[in-house]
Amino acid sequence: MSTLLGLEGVSKNYGPNTVLKDVSFQIGKGEVVGLLGDNGAGKSTLVKIMSGVVSMSSGRYVWDGEEVNRVSRPETERRGVETIFQDSALVPTMSITRNIFAGREITNRFGFLKLRAMDAITTEILDSVVAIEGIRSAKQLVSSLSGGQAQAVAIARAVHFKRSLLILDEPTSALAVRATEALLNYLVQLKSEGVSSVLVTHNLHHAYKVCDRHIVMNHGRKILDTTREDTSVEELTAAVVEGAEGVKRFRQGKPLA
Amino acid sequence: MSVKEPPVVLEEPAPERRRLADSQPATTVDRLKDNLYYLRGRGALEISGVYLAIVIGFVVTSLVNPAGFAFLNSNNLSGVLSQNIPVLAILAIGAGVLMIAGEFDLSIGATIGLCGVVFIRTANSAGWPVAFAATVAVGIAVAVINGLIVVSTKIPSFIATLGMSFFWTGVSIYVNGNTPATFFPGVRTDTMVNLMAGNYGYFRSQLVWLVVVGIAAWFLLHRHRAGNKVFAVGGNAAAAAAVSIKPKAVRLQAFAFLGVMVGIASSLYVARTSGMQPGTTESYTLLAIAAAVVGGCSLTGGRGSVTGMVVGGALILTIENGLVLGNAPGFYVQLFLGVAIVIAAVFNKFMEGKAT
Repeated sequence: MSTLLGLEGVSKNYGPNTVLKDVSFQIGKGEVVGLLGDNGAGKSTLVKIMSGVVSMSSGRYVWDGEEVNRVSRPETERRGVETIFQDSALVPTMSITRNIFAGREITNRFGFLKLRAMDAITTEILDSVVAIEGIRSAKQLVSSLSGGQAQAVAIARAVHFKRSLLILDEPTSALAVRATEALLNYLVQLKSEGVSSVLVTHNLHHAYKVCDRHIVMNHGRKILDTTREDTSVEELTAAVVEGAEGVKRFRQGKPLA
Repeated sequence: MSVKEPPVVLEEPAPERRRLADSQPATTVDRLKDNLYYLRGRGALEISGVYLAIVIGFVVTSLVNPAGFAFLNSNNLSGVLSQNIPVLAILAIGAGVLMIAGEFDLSIGATIGLCGVVFIRTANSAGWPVAFAATVAVGIAVAVINGLIVVSTKIPSFIATLGMSFFWTGVSIYVNGNTPATFFPGVRTDTMVNLMAGNYGYFRSQLVWLVVVGIAAWFLLHRHRAGNKVFAVGGNAAAAAAVSIKPKAVRLQAFAFLGVMVGIASSLYVARTSGMQPGTTESYTLLAIAAAVVGGCSLTGGRGSVTGMVVGGALILTIENGLVLGNAPGFYVQLFLGVAIVIAAVFNKFMEGKAT
């Protein structure tokens, strides 16, 4: 499998606080990677760096074998990276349609919006992408949606625009069971289309079910990077809960402390 | 021979999900109803209703008692309303768009003073068309300087522009001196007066300016991608940045847009008054912001409409006009105006919750 995105020696400091320490990993084309770890492990920062929203303090961002010197959101957007952020990055005071097309509006050549065309596409993707109950119209304000519905809109947007890499930061936290199932199945389906995805989640069972590879973070460091064949839900649990010590102990066959 | 049991149904089949596409309006009438439904709670619709009720009230009173309440008198409609409303409404459009982007400009009044001085002095030396261009350019420059201070230092725009308000008044006194700027004889040509302050019976040319500026602003804000970005940045700047919108650039554009509006409004103002004394236009700052708030702009950004801003400005001045016509003593005008603005703001807050 050829590599789509490689991070090499990535560190991130916020003032005196080091959030990421020398993290390296690779995401293959069409691979589903699980990014796991406890709160404060640095997962969300890593997601923001991968999607170009936050710059790294040091390290290399290698896309398809070629280093990207100045990683920015327009740069990653051009390469087809789409992210669903944990704090569902929508504008509550705008309609669903305007949220989905914010910054990527369909316009005539003078920049005027083609609202009807955008409404039609929005309706279409809301119907096809994830099972969302209770949305009446693409014209609804996002502030009138429930948390799960808003999350579904964020997912629909990312899924609509993704071309090469889809990053999902805790996507299932606000979703109903059936919508979660649909989303996980969708990730597997993406593989056959050659689209890679990174799934950040607390739910190890979800991750284990769909991910080809698992990366476990702990206090800003990568402590485990393993394929599904080489690990188990139990080992992942030990790594997430107890860090590197937990992995060592698990491999020695000792039960959780 | 064993009895075959009927197969047990473990799970009910998932109900067919209602598709969004099937419930969309198909006919033109349905589409209009749908659009109207989604206008609720945005401010413009509600405040327009209130304004219509007030105007109808004034018209009826005026018809019943034309001598005591001369609302429909052409002197009132043309001389007072169509001269005052356009200036305030154009300022409100500028202030309101900036508020949607999540910023304030408290130096609007001071900038009008400076722009007015620039218009008169440039017109005296180079004629009014050059003066108009120079005034708009100065309006943009002032607003962009304010904007640069705000976006580069991250000081709340409230404080930054409050300080700059004194600065710009100072600049206009420095440029002009303490005596009012006035046009030299013959500078105020017939063409200029006809275009910028012409009397056409029941309305003045300022009203045409408002219509043109209002329609252009409406299309830019509500039907252009530039406006979409303003709403996105004001509603959730982090979300906007995550989709490659640059919040700082968009805020600067909103400041520049305000500058254009202040430039136009100042030109109309001095074309009518023929003079400008720096430091006398401060009240326009809060009037413009009040008009935007009355029209449904949110103080926290992300919410508002051009229709609301224009109607908000018109509402304030029409109420003021009614109070004057009804012979209310001077301080009552302020009193009622204050109450009306607060009620409108409370009303908007209430309607916000009804938005879908």
